[in-house]
Amino acid sequence: MPEPVITVRNLKKHFSVYKKEPGLLGSVRSLLRREYETVAAVDDISFSIKQGEVVGFIGQNGAGKTTTLKMLAGLLYPTSGEVSVLGFNPWNRENAFQKQFSLVLGQKNQLWWDLPAMETFLLNQAIYDIPNPRFRKTLNKLVDLLDVKDSIQIQVRKLSLGQRMKCELIAALLHNPKVLFLDEPTIGLDVIMQKTLRDFISEYNKEYNATIILTSHYMDDVKELCERVIMIDHGKKIYDGLLSSIINKYARNKILSVVFAAPVSKNDLKKFGTIKHLTGSSATLLVSRKDATKIAARLLESLPVQDLNIEEAPLEAIIREVFGNRAKIA
Amino acid sequence: MWRFRQFLSSLMSLTVWSVLFTSQTNVFGYNRAEMISYIFMAAILHGLVLASALYGLAERIYSGDISSLLLKPVSLFSYLAIEEVADKGRNILATLIESGILIALFQPEIVLPSAYTTVVFLLWAAGGVILNFLFSLLFGTLGFWSPDTWGPKFLFFIFLDFSAGKLFPLNILPDWLQSALFLTPFPYLTFMQTQVFLGKVAIDKILIHSSALLLWIVLFYLLNKFLWHWGFKNYAAQGQ
Repeated sequence: MPEPVITVRNLKKHFSVYKKEPGLLGSVRSLLRREYETVAAVDDISFSIKQGEVVGFIGQNGAGKTTTLKMLAGLLYPTSGEVSVLGFNPWNRENAFQKQFSLVLGQKNQLWWDLPAMETFLLNQAIYDIPNPRFRKTLNKLVDLLDVKDSIQIQVRKLSLGQRMKCELIAALLHNPKVLFLDEPTIGLDVIMQKTLRDFISEYNKEYNATIILTSHYMDDVKELCERVIMIDHGKKIYDGLLSSIINKYARNKILSVVFAAPVSKNDLKKFGTIKHLTGSSATLLVSRKDATKIAARLLESLPVQDLNIEEAPLEAIIREVFGNRAKIA
Repeated sequence: MWRFRQFLSSLMSLTVWSVLFTSQTNVFGYNRAEMISYIFMAAILHGLVLASALYGLAERIYSGDISSLLLKPVSLFSYLAIEEVADKGRNILATLIESGILIALFQPEIVLPSAYTTVVFLLWAAGGVILNFLFSLLFGTLGFWSPDTWGPKFLFFIFLDFSAGKLFPLNILPDWLQSALFLTPFPYLTFMQTQVFLGKVAIDKILIHSSALLLWIVLFYLLNKFLWHWGFKNYAAQGQ
Protein backbone atom coordinates (compact mmCIF):
# COMPACT_ATOMS: atom_id res chain seq x y z
CA MET A 1 0.00 0.00 0.00
CA PRO A 2 1.78 3.20 -1.11
CA GLU A 3 2.15 6.02 1.42
CA PRO A 4 0.22 9.24 0.77
CA VAL A 5 2.25 11.85 -1.09
CA ILE A 6 -0.16 14.62 -0.12
CA THR A 7 -1.83 14.82 3.27
CA VAL A 8 -4.20 17.61 4.26
CA ARG A 9 -5.75 17.79 7.71
CA ASN A 10 -8.43 20.27 8.79
CA LEU A 11 -7.15 22.88 6.39
CA LYS A 12 -8.71 26.34 6.62
CA LYS A 13 -8.10 29.61 4.84
CA HIS A 14 -10.13 32.60 5.88
CA PHE A 15 -9.83 36.00 4.21
CA SER A 16 -10.87 39.25 5.78
CA VAL A 17 -12.59 41.40 3.16
CA TYR A 18 -14.17 44.80 3.58
CA LYS A 19 -17.56 45.73 2.21
CA LYS A 20 -17.94 49.01 0.36
CA GLU A 21 -21.16 50.68 -0.68
CA PRO A 22 -21.20 51.89 -4.30
CA GLY A 23 -20.63 55.50 -5.33
CA LEU A 24 -18.63 58.43 -4.01
CA LEU A 25 -20.46 58.50 -0.68
CA GLY A 26 -19.68 54.82 -0.20
CA SER A 27 -15.99 55.52 -0.89
CA VAL A 28 -15.91 58.36 1.67
CA ARG A 29 -17.73 56.22 4.23
CA SER A 30 -15.30 53.35 3.69
CA LEU A 31 -12.42 55.71 4.44
CA LEU A 32 -13.91 56.63 7.81
CA ARG A 33 -15.46 53.37 8.86
CA ARG A 34 -14.91 50.02 7.24
CA GLU A 35 -16.96 46.94 7.76
CA TYR A 36 -14.97 43.75 7.49
CA GLU A 37 -16.31 40.32 6.80
CA THR A 38 -14.51 37.00 7.17
CA VAL A 39 -14.83 34.75 4.16
CA ALA A 40 -14.04 31.07 4.62
CA ALA A 41 -12.46 30.25 1.24
CA VAL A 42 -11.40 26.81 2.48
CA ASP A 43 -13.20 25.47 5.51
CA ASP A 44 -11.88 22.42 7.32
CA ILE A 45 -10.84 20.21 4.43
CA SER A 46 -9.02 16.89 4.93
CA PHE A 47 -7.85 14.34 2.38
CA SER A 48 -4.83 12.33 1.33
CA ILE A 49 -3.54 11.40 -2.11
CA LYS A 50 -1.24 8.50 -3.01
CA GLN A 51 1.62 8.54 -5.45
CA GLY A 52 0.54 8.26 -9.07
CA GLU A 53 -3.08 9.23 -8.43
CA VAL A 54 -4.80 11.78 -10.67
CA VAL A 55 -7.45 13.51 -8.61
CA GLY A 56 -9.99 15.97 -9.96
CA PHE A 57 -11.00 18.96 -7.87
CA ILE A 58 -14.53 19.89 -8.78
CA GLY A 59 -16.48 22.89 -7.60
CA GLN A 60 -18.25 25.99 -8.75
CA ASN A 61 -16.44 29.33 -9.10
CA GLY A 62 -15.21 30.54 -5.71
CA ALA A 63 -15.64 27.10 -4.14
CA GLY A 64 -12.05 27.09 -2.84
CA LYS A 65 -10.31 24.84 -5.36
CA THR A 66 -7.58 27.25 -6.44
CA THR A 67 -7.06 28.49 -2.87
CA THR A 68 -6.46 24.89 -1.78
CA LEU A 69 -3.95 24.36 -4.60
CA LYS A 70 -2.15 27.59 -3.68
CA MET A 71 -1.82 26.38 -0.10
CA LEU A 72 -0.52 23.01 -1.28
CA ALA A 73 2.06 24.87 -3.38
CA GLY A 74 3.12 27.07 -0.46
CA LEU A 75 1.89 30.35 -1.96
CA LEU A 76 -0.76 30.97 0.67
CA TYR A 77 -0.39 30.65 4.40
CA PRO A 78 -3.20 28.56 5.90
CA THR A 79 -5.36 30.04 8.66
CA SER A 80 -5.15 26.66 10.40
CA GLY A 81 -4.64 22.98 9.66
CA GLU A 82 -1.79 20.87 8.39
CA VAL A 83 -0.44 20.25 4.91
CA SER A 84 2.27 17.84 3.90
CA VAL A 85 3.41 17.42 0.29
CA LEU A 86 6.20 14.88 -0.38
CA GLY A 87 6.95 15.06 3.37
CA PHE A 88 7.47 18.85 3.31
CA ASN A 89 5.48 21.68 4.78
CA PRO A 90 4.91 23.72 1.58
CA TRP A 91 4.89 27.03 3.45
CA ASN A 92 8.59 26.60 4.33
CA ARG A 93 9.36 26.81 0.58
CA GLU A 94 12.43 24.61 0.83
CA ASN A 95 14.43 24.23 -2.38
CA ALA A 96 14.29 20.44 -2.10
CA PHE A 97 10.49 20.63 -2.15
CA GLN A 98 10.21 23.24 -4.88
CA LYS A 99 12.37 21.14 -7.21
CA GLN A 100 9.80 18.34 -7.02
CA PHE A 101 6.50 20.01 -7.86
CA SER A 102 4.90 22.40 -10.31
CA LEU A 103 1.81 24.55 -10.26
CA VAL A 104 0.31 25.41 -13.62
CA LEU A 105 -2.29 28.16 -13.61
CA GLY A 106 -4.30 28.28 -16.83
CA GLN A 107 -5.00 32.00 -16.61
CA LYS A 108 -1.50 33.17 -15.72
CA ASN A 109 1.85 32.34 -17.09
CA GLN A 110 5.43 32.10 -16.00
CA LEU A 111 6.78 32.63 -19.51
CA TRP A 112 8.55 35.92 -20.25
CA TRP A 113 6.02 37.79 -22.36
CA ASP A 114 8.48 39.65 -24.60
CA LEU A 115 10.97 36.83 -25.09
CA PRO A 116 10.77 33.47 -26.87
CA ALA A 117 9.67 30.59 -24.61
CA MET A 118 13.14 29.07 -25.05
CA GLU A 119 14.57 31.85 -22.86
CA THR A 120 12.26 30.84 -20.00
CA PHE A 121 13.22 27.19 -20.50
CA LEU A 122 16.92 28.10 -20.20
CA LEU A 123 16.25 30.23 -17.11
CA ASN A 124 14.37 27.32 -15.55
CA GLN A 125 17.27 25.01 -16.39
CA ALA A 126 19.53 27.29 -14.34
CA ILE A 127 17.05 27.78 -11.50
CA TYR A 128 16.22 24.08 -11.16
CA ASP A 129 19.84 23.12 -11.67
CA ILE A 130 19.07 20.64 -14.46
CA PRO A 131 22.18 19.05 -16.04
CA ASN A 132 22.47 19.94 -19.72
CA PRO A 133 22.09 16.41 -21.20
CA ARG A 134 18.95 15.78 -19.10
CA PHE A 135 17.57 19.22 -19.99
CA ARG A 136 18.06 18.64 -23.73
CA LYS A 137 16.55 15.16 -23.56
CA THR A 138 13.46 16.28 -21.62
CA LEU A 139 13.00 19.41 -23.71
CA ASN A 140 13.21 17.53 -27.02
CA LYS A 141 10.76 14.95 -25.78
CA LEU A 142 8.23 17.52 -24.53
CA VAL A 143 8.59 19.63 -27.67
CA ASP A 144 7.95 16.57 -29.85
CA LEU A 145 5.01 15.35 -27.74
CA LEU A 146 3.32 18.75 -27.82
CA ASP A 147 4.41 19.57 -31.36
CA VAL A 148 5.76 23.07 -30.68
CA LYS A 149 9.16 22.87 -32.35
CA ASP A 150 8.41 25.95 -34.46
CA SER A 151 6.94 27.99 -31.60
CA ILE A 152 9.65 27.99 -28.94
CA GLN A 153 11.87 30.49 -30.76
CA ILE A 154 9.04 33.00 -31.27
CA GLN A 155 8.18 35.80 -28.81
CA VAL A 156 5.57 34.49 -26.36
CA ARG A 157 3.29 37.49 -27.00
CA LYS A 158 3.00 36.41 -30.64
CA LEU A 159 1.90 32.84 -29.88
CA SER A 160 -1.69 31.62 -29.89
CA LEU A 161 -3.31 30.68 -26.57
CA GLY A 162 -2.92 26.98 -27.36
CA GLN A 163 0.78 27.30 -28.25
CA ARG A 164 1.36 29.40 -25.12
CA MET A 165 -0.33 26.84 -22.89
CA LYS A 166 1.79 24.06 -24.40
CA CYS A 167 4.97 26.09 -23.75
CA GLU A 168 3.67 26.82 -20.27
CA LEU A 169 3.37 23.09 -19.62
CA ILE A 170 6.88 22.48 -20.94
CA ALA A 171 8.29 25.18 -18.61
CA ALA A 172 6.48 23.53 -15.71
CA LEU A 173 7.66 20.01 -16.53
CA LEU A 174 11.31 20.49 -17.51
CA HIS A 175 12.46 19.46 -14.04
CA ASN A 176 10.26 16.33 -14.11
CA PRO A 177 8.11 17.18 -11.06
CA LYS A 178 6.73 14.32 -8.99
CA VAL A 179 3.67 16.34 -8.03
CA LEU A 180 1.71 18.46 -10.45
CA PHE A 181 -1.02 20.95 -9.55
CA LEU A 182 -2.99 21.89 -12.66
CA ASP A 183 -5.49 24.70 -12.31
CA GLU A 184 -7.73 24.94 -15.36
CA PRO A 185 -4.97 23.89 -17.79
CA THR A 186 -7.35 23.71 -20.76
CA ILE A 187 -9.27 26.94 -20.17
CA GLY A 188 -9.96 28.89 -23.36
CA LEU A 189 -8.58 26.18 -25.65
CA ASP A 190 -10.47 24.65 -28.56
CA VAL A 191 -11.65 21.05 -28.27
CA ILE A 192 -8.78 19.61 -30.31
CA MET A 193 -6.18 21.39 -28.20
CA GLN A 194 -7.99 20.33 -25.02
CA LYS A 195 -7.79 16.71 -26.15
CA THR A 196 -4.07 17.06 -26.99
CA LEU A 197 -3.30 18.44 -23.54
CA ARG A 198 -5.40 15.78 -21.81
CA ASP A 199 -3.57 13.01 -23.67
CA PHE A 200 -0.28 14.63 -22.77
CA ILE A 201 -1.14 14.89 -19.05
CA SER A 202 -2.26 11.27 -19.03
CA GLU A 203 0.98 10.20 -20.71
CA TYR A 204 3.06 12.20 -18.22
CA ASN A 205 1.22 10.59 -15.30
CA LYS A 206 1.88 7.10 -16.63
CA GLU A 207 5.51 7.66 -17.55
CA TYR A 208 6.65 9.39 -14.37
CA ASN A 209 4.07 7.94 -11.95
CA ALA A 210 3.40 11.57 -11.09
CA THR A 211 0.74 12.59 -8.62
CA ILE A 212 -1.62 15.09 -10.20
CA ILE A 213 -4.37 17.31 -8.84
CA LEU A 214 -6.47 18.86 -11.57
CA THR A 215 -9.14 21.52 -11.38
CA SER A 216 -11.24 22.11 -14.44
CA HIS A 217 -14.62 23.36 -15.46
CA TYR A 218 -14.48 21.10 -18.49
CA MET A 219 -15.93 17.81 -17.37
CA ASP A 220 -14.27 16.01 -20.27
CA ASP A 221 -10.92 16.76 -18.59
CA VAL A 222 -12.11 15.19 -15.35
CA LYS A 223 -13.85 12.26 -17.04
CA GLU A 224 -10.80 11.31 -19.12
CA LEU A 225 -8.10 11.86 -16.56
CA CYS A 226 -9.46 11.34 -13.05
CA GLU A 227 -10.62 8.14 -11.48
CA ARG A 228 -11.12 9.93 -8.18
CA VAL A 229 -12.73 13.31 -7.57
CA ILE A 230 -12.94 15.65 -4.60
CA MET A 231 -15.91 17.96 -4.72
CA ILE A 232 -15.78 21.28 -2.91
CA ASP A 233 -18.60 23.68 -2.26
CA HIS A 234 -18.34 26.93 -0.32
CA GLY A 235 -14.95 25.85 1.01
CA LYS A 236 -16.17 22.50 2.32
CA LYS A 237 -15.51 19.05 0.97
CA ILE A 238 -18.79 17.43 0.00
CA TYR A 239 -17.54 14.31 -1.77
CA ASP A 240 -14.31 12.38 -2.02
CA GLY A 241 -14.36 9.14 -3.95
CA LEU A 242 -14.56 7.43 -7.32
CA LEU A 243 -16.05 9.41 -10.17
CA SER A 244 -17.92 6.27 -11.28
CA SER A 245 -19.60 5.98 -7.86
CA ILE A 246 -20.97 9.48 -8.01
CA ILE A 247 -22.20 8.89 -11.57
CA ASN A 248 -23.97 5.69 -10.49
CA LYS A 249 -25.48 7.46 -7.51
CA TYR A 250 -26.63 10.68 -9.12
CA ALA A 251 -27.21 9.90 -12.78
CA ARG A 252 -30.90 9.02 -12.74
CA ASN A 253 -31.21 8.74 -16.51
CA LYS A 254 -29.40 7.40 -19.52
CA ILE A 255 -29.62 8.69 -23.05
CA LEU A 256 -30.77 6.47 -25.93
CA SER A 257 -29.70 7.75 -29.35
CA VAL A 258 -31.63 5.95 -32.07
CA VAL A 259 -31.54 5.98 -35.85
CA PHE A 260 -34.57 4.42 -37.58
CA ALA A 261 -34.85 2.82 -41.02
CA ALA A 262 -38.00 4.89 -41.67
CA PRO A 263 -39.48 7.99 -39.98
CA VAL A 264 -41.39 7.31 -36.74
CA SER A 265 -44.06 9.39 -35.05
CA LYS A 266 -43.89 11.14 -31.71
CA ASN A 267 -46.74 8.96 -30.42
CA ASP A 268 -44.83 5.79 -31.23
CA LEU A 269 -41.84 7.01 -29.26
CA LYS A 270 -43.23 8.71 -26.18
CA LYS A 271 -44.20 5.42 -24.47
CA PHE A 272 -40.47 4.50 -24.23
CA GLY A 273 -39.26 7.63 -22.47
CA THR A 274 -38.94 11.41 -22.56
CA ILE A 275 -38.25 12.62 -26.09
CA LYS A 276 -35.41 15.14 -26.07
CA HIS A 277 -35.04 15.36 -29.81
CA LEU A 278 -36.80 13.95 -32.87
CA THR A 279 -36.11 14.78 -36.51
CA GLY A 280 -37.40 12.41 -39.18
CA SER A 281 -35.61 9.14 -38.64
CA SER A 282 -33.36 10.01 -35.69
CA ALA A 283 -34.28 10.57 -32.04
CA THR A 284 -32.82 11.05 -28.57
CA LEU A 285 -34.66 9.67 -25.56
CA LEU A 286 -34.12 10.14 -21.86
CA VAL A 287 -34.86 6.88 -20.03
CA SER A 288 -34.64 5.64 -16.48
CA ARG A 289 -31.10 4.45 -15.74
CA LYS A 290 -32.13 1.11 -14.24
CA ASP A 291 -34.52 0.27 -17.10
CA ALA A 292 -32.31 1.48 -19.95
CA THR A 293 -31.38 -1.97 -21.23
CA LYS A 294 -34.96 -3.28 -21.12
CA ILE A 295 -36.30 -0.20 -22.90
CA ALA A 296 -33.62 -0.53 -25.57
CA ALA A 297 -34.65 -4.16 -26.15
CA ARG A 298 -38.33 -3.18 -26.44
CA LEU A 299 -37.44 -0.45 -28.91
CA LEU A 300 -35.53 -2.91 -31.09
CA GLU A 301 -38.55 -5.24 -31.10
CA SER A 302 -41.23 -2.62 -31.71
CA LEU A 303 -39.71 -0.14 -34.18
CA PRO A 304 -37.50 -0.35 -37.31
CA VAL A 305 -34.25 0.50 -35.50
CA GLN A 306 -31.16 0.80 -37.66
CA ASP A 307 -28.70 1.96 -34.99
CA LEU A 308 -28.94 2.41 -31.21
CA ASN A 309 -26.58 3.82 -28.59
CA ILE A 310 -26.93 3.89 -24.80
CA GLU A 311 -25.01 6.80 -23.29
CA GLU A 312 -24.44 8.23 -19.83
CA ALA A 313 -26.01 11.60 -19.11
CA PRO A 314 -23.45 14.44 -19.49
CA LEU A 315 -21.18 14.70 -16.47
CA GLU A 316 -22.06 18.40 -16.20
CA ALA A 317 -25.69 17.48 -15.54
CA ILE A 318 -24.70 14.91 -12.92
CA ILE A 319 -22.43 17.41 -11.16
CA ARG A 320 -25.27 19.94 -11.13
CA GLU A 321 -27.42 17.27 -9.54
CA VAL A 322 -24.77 16.62 -6.87
CA PHE A 323 -24.44 20.29 -5.97
CA GLY A 324 -28.23 20.54 -5.92
CA ASN A 325 -28.28 17.69 -3.39
CA ARG A 326 -25.37 19.06 -1.37
CA ALA A 327 -27.24 18.88 1.97
CA LYS A 328 -27.95 15.18 1.45
CA ILE A 329 -24.39 14.07 0.82
CA ALA A 330 -22.53 16.44 3.16
CA MET B 1 12.90 59.24 -21.43
CA TRP B 2 13.68 58.81 -17.72
CA ARG B 3 17.40 58.98 -18.45
CA PHE B 4 16.90 62.02 -20.65
CA ARG B 5 15.11 63.72 -17.73
CA GLN B 6 18.11 62.99 -15.49
CA PHE B 7 20.43 64.40 -18.14
CA LEU B 8 18.36 67.61 -18.42
CA SER B 9 18.28 67.90 -14.61
CA SER B 10 22.12 67.78 -14.45
CA LEU B 11 22.40 70.18 -17.41
CA MET B 12 20.13 72.69 -15.66
CA SER B 13 21.99 72.43 -12.35
CA LEU B 14 25.34 72.96 -14.08
CA THR B 15 23.99 75.96 -16.00
CA VAL B 16 22.48 77.62 -12.90
CA TRP B 17 25.58 77.11 -10.75
CA SER B 18 27.92 78.20 -13.58
CA VAL B 19 25.94 81.46 -13.86
CA LEU B 20 26.08 81.98 -10.07
CA PHE B 21 29.83 81.48 -10.02
CA THR B 22 30.45 84.09 -12.75
CA SER B 23 30.01 86.88 -10.16
CA GLN B 24 31.26 85.05 -7.01
CA THR B 25 34.09 82.69 -6.13
CA ASN B 26 32.41 81.13 -3.08
CA VAL B 27 28.74 80.21 -2.65
CA PHE B 28 27.58 78.58 0.62
CA GLY B 29 31.17 77.45 1.36
CA TYR B 30 31.62 75.81 -2.10
CA ASN B 31 34.02 77.11 -4.73
CA ARG B 32 33.25 76.59 -8.41
CA ALA B 33 35.30 73.38 -8.79
CA GLU B 34 33.73 71.83 -5.68
CA MET B 35 30.18 72.67 -6.74
CA ILE B 36 30.67 71.35 -10.28
CA SER B 37 32.28 68.19 -8.83
CA TYR B 38 29.31 67.90 -6.44
CA ILE B 39 26.82 68.02 -9.33
CA PHE B 40 28.72 65.41 -11.34
CA MET B 41 29.10 63.15 -8.33
CA ALA B 42 25.42 63.59 -7.35
CA ALA B 43 24.41 62.55 -10.89
CA ILE B 44 26.67 59.47 -10.85
CA LEU B 45 25.47 58.49 -7.37
CA HIS B 46 21.89 58.96 -8.48
CA GLY B 47 22.47 56.37 -11.18
CA LEU B 48 24.40 54.11 -8.83
CA VAL B 49 22.40 54.41 -5.62
CA LEU B 50 18.94 55.86 -6.15
CA ALA B 51 17.98 54.34 -9.52
CA SER B 52 16.22 51.07 -8.79
CA ALA B 53 14.47 48.32 -10.69
CA LEU B 54 12.27 47.70 -7.66
CA TYR B 55 10.06 50.79 -7.73
CA GLY B 56 7.29 48.66 -9.24
CA LEU B 57 7.67 45.90 -6.66
CA ALA B 58 4.51 46.81 -4.71
CA GLU B 59 2.42 46.50 -7.88
CA ARG B 60 4.06 43.15 -8.69
CA ILE B 61 3.13 41.91 -5.22
CA TYR B 62 -0.42 43.24 -5.27
CA SER B 63 -1.13 41.83 -8.73
CA GLY B 64 0.29 38.44 -7.76
CA ASP B 65 3.12 38.61 -10.30
CA ILE B 66 5.68 37.44 -7.77
CA SER B 67 3.87 34.09 -7.38
CA SER B 68 5.81 32.44 -10.18
CA LEU B 69 9.05 33.41 -8.41
CA LEU B 70 7.83 32.16 -5.04
CA LEU B 71 7.16 28.74 -6.55
CA LYS B 72 10.71 28.30 -7.82
CA PRO B 73 13.73 27.03 -5.89
CA VAL B 74 15.34 30.45 -5.82
CA SER B 75 15.38 33.09 -3.11
CA LEU B 76 13.08 35.97 -4.02
CA PHE B 77 15.49 38.48 -2.48
CA SER B 78 18.48 37.11 -4.40
CA TYR B 79 16.46 37.33 -7.59
CA LEU B 80 15.45 40.93 -6.85
CA ALA B 81 19.05 41.80 -5.93
CA ILE B 82 20.25 40.49 -9.31
CA GLU B 83 17.56 42.54 -11.08
CA GLU B 84 18.77 45.55 -9.12
CA VAL B 85 22.45 45.00 -10.00
CA ALA B 86 21.58 44.61 -13.70
CA ASP B 87 19.53 47.80 -13.62
CA LYS B 88 22.33 49.70 -11.87
CA GLY B 89 24.85 48.51 -14.43
CA ARG B 90 22.68 49.92 -17.21
CA ASN B 91 22.18 53.20 -15.34
CA ILE B 92 25.86 53.68 -14.53
CA LEU B 93 26.78 53.14 -18.17
CA ALA B 94 24.20 55.72 -19.24
CA THR B 95 25.36 58.16 -16.51
CA LEU B 96 28.98 57.87 -17.64
CA ILE B 97 28.00 58.65 -21.24
CA GLU B 98 25.89 61.63 -20.08
CA SER B 99 28.71 62.88 -17.83
CA GLY B 100 31.12 62.64 -20.79
CA ILE B 101 28.80 64.89 -22.83
CA LEU B 102 28.49 67.36 -19.93
CA ILE B 103 32.26 67.41 -19.37
CA ALA B 104 32.75 68.13 -23.07
CA LEU B 105 30.18 70.94 -22.88
CA PHE B 106 31.28 72.62 -19.63
CA GLN B 107 34.95 71.55 -19.47
CA PRO B 108 34.85 71.75 -15.67
CA GLU B 109 37.66 71.49 -13.16
CA ILE B 110 36.85 68.44 -11.03
CA VAL B 111 38.13 67.85 -7.49
CA LEU B 112 39.68 64.38 -7.20
CA PRO B 113 39.94 62.66 -3.80
CA SER B 114 42.93 60.99 -2.10
CA ALA B 115 43.31 57.20 -2.12
CA TYR B 116 42.08 56.95 1.50
CA THR B 117 39.03 59.11 0.73
CA THR B 118 38.32 57.06 -2.39
CA VAL B 119 38.20 53.85 -0.34
CA VAL B 120 35.81 55.44 2.19
CA PHE B 121 33.75 56.87 -0.67
CA LEU B 122 33.43 53.46 -2.35
CA LEU B 123 32.47 51.78 0.95
CA TRP B 124 29.85 54.44 1.69
CA ALA B 125 28.54 54.23 -1.88
CA ALA B 126 28.13 50.45 -1.41
CA GLY B 127 26.36 51.19 1.88
CA GLY B 128 24.07 53.64 0.07
CA VAL B 129 23.24 51.00 -2.55
CA ILE B 130 22.32 48.49 0.17
CA LEU B 131 20.30 51.09 2.10
CA ASN B 132 18.33 52.07 -1.01
CA PHE B 133 17.74 48.39 -1.86
CA LEU B 134 16.30 47.91 1.64
CA PHE B 135 14.16 51.06 1.18
CA SER B 136 12.81 49.71 -2.10
CA LEU B 137 12.01 46.33 -0.51
CA LEU B 138 10.26 48.11 2.34
CA PHE B 139 8.13 50.11 -0.10
CA GLY B 140 7.37 46.89 -1.92
CA THR B 141 5.65 45.48 1.18
CA LEU B 142 2.87 48.06 0.68
CA GLY B 143 1.66 45.75 -2.09
CA PHE B 144 0.72 43.09 0.46
CA TRP B 145 -2.01 45.33 1.83
CA SER B 146 -2.91 48.05 -0.64
CA PRO B 147 -3.23 48.61 -4.38
CA ASP B 148 -2.59 52.36 -3.90
CA THR B 149 1.18 52.60 -3.81
CA TRP B 150 1.66 55.43 -6.30
CA GLY B 151 0.78 58.26 -3.87
CA PRO B 152 3.15 57.29 -1.02
CA LYS B 153 5.88 56.56 -3.56
CA PHE B 154 5.51 59.93 -5.28
CA LEU B 155 5.75 61.80 -1.95
CA PHE B 156 8.73 59.68 -0.96
CA PHE B 157 10.64 60.46 -4.16
CA ILE B 158 9.99 64.20 -3.83
CA PHE B 159 11.31 64.08 -0.28
CA LEU B 160 14.17 61.82 -1.36
CA ASP B 161 15.34 64.23 -4.08
CA PHE B 162 15.46 66.98 -1.48
CA SER B 163 16.78 65.09 1.56
CA ALA B 164 19.42 63.01 -0.23
CA GLY B 165 20.99 66.19 -1.60
CA LYS B 166 20.15 65.58 -5.23
CA LEU B 167 18.89 69.12 -5.89
CA PHE B 168 21.55 70.99 -3.85
CA PRO B 169 24.08 70.21 -1.11
CA LEU B 170 22.33 69.81 2.26
CA ASN B 171 24.91 71.93 4.04
CA ILE B 172 23.55 75.08 2.43
CA LEU B 173 20.41 74.56 4.57
CA PRO B 174 19.94 76.15 8.04
CA ASP B 175 21.63 74.23 10.88
CA TRP B 176 18.38 73.16 12.55
CA LEU B 177 17.10 71.62 9.28
CA GLN B 178 20.41 69.85 8.67
CA SER B 179 20.30 68.42 12.21
CA ALA B 180 16.72 67.24 11.63
CA LEU B 181 17.66 65.60 8.31
CA PHE B 182 20.57 63.78 9.95
CA LEU B 183 18.07 62.07 12.25
CA THR B 184 16.81 60.29 9.11
CA PRO B 185 18.68 57.82 6.87
CA PHE B 186 18.31 59.98 3.73
CA PRO B 187 21.62 61.92 3.89
CA TYR B 188 23.39 58.53 3.92
CA LEU B 189 22.03 57.59 0.51
CA THR B 190 24.10 60.00 -1.61
CA PHE B 191 24.81 63.26 0.20
CA MET B 192 27.46 62.00 2.64
CA GLN B 193 29.16 60.13 -0.21
CA THR B 194 29.56 63.37 -2.18
CA GLN B 195 30.89 65.12 0.93
CA VAL B 196 33.53 62.48 1.56
CA PHE B 197 34.48 62.59 -2.14
CA LEU B 198 35.01 66.36 -1.90
CA GLY B 199 37.07 65.94 1.30
CA LYS B 200 34.49 67.81 3.38
CA VAL B 201 34.19 65.14 6.11
CA ALA B 202 36.74 65.37 8.91
CA ILE B 203 38.71 62.16 9.55
CA ASP B 204 37.39 61.92 13.13
CA LYS B 205 33.78 62.07 11.84
CA ILE B 206 34.21 59.23 9.33
CA LEU B 207 33.81 56.50 11.95
CA ILE B 208 30.70 58.15 13.41
CA HIS B 209 29.02 58.46 10.00
CA SER B 210 30.11 54.93 9.02
CA SER B 211 28.49 53.62 12.21
CA ALA B 212 25.31 55.63 11.52
CA LEU B 213 25.12 54.21 7.98
CA LEU B 214 25.63 50.67 9.29
CA LEU B 215 23.00 51.21 11.98
CA TRP B 216 20.43 52.33 9.42
CA ILE B 217 21.21 49.28 7.27
CA VAL B 218 20.73 46.91 10.24
CA LEU B 219 17.54 48.69 11.28
CA PHE B 220 16.02 48.54 7.81
CA TYR B 221 17.10 44.92 7.41
CA LEU B 222 15.24 43.98 10.60
CA LEU B 223 12.21 46.06 9.64
CA ASN B 224 12.14 44.33 6.23
CA LYS B 225 12.44 40.91 7.82
CA PHE B 226 9.44 41.58 10.05
CA LEU B 227 7.26 43.21 7.37
CA TRP B 228 8.00 40.62 4.66
CA HIS B 229 7.24 37.76 7.06
CA TRP B 230 3.98 39.45 8.05
CA GLY B 231 3.24 40.33 4.41
CA PHE B 232 3.72 36.76 3.16
CA LYS B 233 1.16 35.60 5.71
CA ASN B 234 -1.27 38.10 4.19
CA TYR B 235 -0.31 37.39 0.59
CA ALA B 236 -3.37 36.57 -1.45
CA ALA B 237 -1.61 35.65 -4.75
CA GLN B 238 -4.33 37.59 -6.55
CA GLY B 239 -4.90 37.23 -10.23
CA GLN B 240 -2.92 34.03 -10.23
